[in-house]
Amino acid sequence: MKTPLSRFRTMAIICGINLILLVVYMVAKYAFNAFDESNPFIAIPIAHGYFYIVYILTVLQLAVQKRISFPVILALVAAGTIPVASFIAERKIVKKYS
Amino acid sequence: MLALAGIFFSLGNWQLTRASDLKIELARDSASEELSDTRVYSLSDLTTAQGSLPFAALGKSISLQGHYIATYKAANQVDRDGEVDDWEVALTQVDSATAILVVRGLWSQRLTAPEISMATKVEITGRIYPTQQSDRTAVRAGELSRIDPSALTAVTDFQLYDGFIAASSESYRGGEITRERVEIGIAKSGTPGYYWQHISYVVIWWLMAALVLWAPFYKRREKPDAGSKEQ
Repeated sequence: MKTPLSRFRTMAIICGINLILLVVYMVAKYAFNAFDESNPFIAIPIAHGYFYIVYILTVLQLAVQKRISFPVILALVAAGTIPVASFIAERKIVKKYS
Repeated sequence: MLALAGIFFSLGNWQLTRASDLKIELARDSASEELSDTRVYSLSDLTTAQGSLPFAALGKSISLQGHYIATYKAANQVDRDGEVDDWEVALTQVDSATAILVVRGLWSQRLTAPEISMATKVEITGRIYPTQQSDRTAVRAGELSRIDPSALTAVTDFQLYDGFIAASSESYRGGEITRERVEIGIAKSGTPGYYWQHISYVVIWWLMAALVLWAPFYKRREKPDAGSKEQ
């Protein structure tokens, strides 16, 4: 995690995994009433907020270093909120800048 | 850009309000400990009609004198033991300018002491609870969908206290009104973690606002580089 690119990659993967877990959590909680409010899986939605903050910061650091255009920055920021999109973004960015 | 940043900033503030609301819910947990506090306070000791009900006041015993000026049915309410019933809630005039909601008891016993009129000064003792946040029933005339003074702001000129009192005793002219009282549990709220989830979203919205404000400056930084490449 020495370069902005590797930091972005790490956070994109972490955010992507967390988002998939979040979708599973939401479906289990709201569609099947699988959890009450004191379940340990509450860590998943809580972690999502904080991972996403760090993800945005890594996007900004990478953007400044690589002079990425502002629309692409917005797309990368948005990718952190859409399941699987951060994996796609990570692949495209690595392909372009590594 | 400024408008967009303003929207993001406002969303952050809205999320912050939600986090504060959640904090009130969490305070209910600690308020359950206050139920062991046997001291009886006056209403003015604990709260005012101007602001929100302080955390420290939740669940405390209160004694006040007032006049019942309107009565409402609060349907589908759940007591401490999980029993669902309709409750009688009285808008109680405390002084010439302020009023508070008092849960008198079960709706089915509302005809107990029919001699009590608006002119009758009633001495009430009970515990104070936070305003209910979610509807228990659909909004209907003469009913409260939840015990929330804000639902009555359109129909009364009185300044209403936040929260409500669940009466444990009522007396007037020295006589006690005997009726079944409602025991209200202080609901256990969700995991405290939810509060931090809201706070993270506050940071995200504000970060978005900062990003939008930063955008014009970012564009300016790109130009010199592009120019240097051309040279």
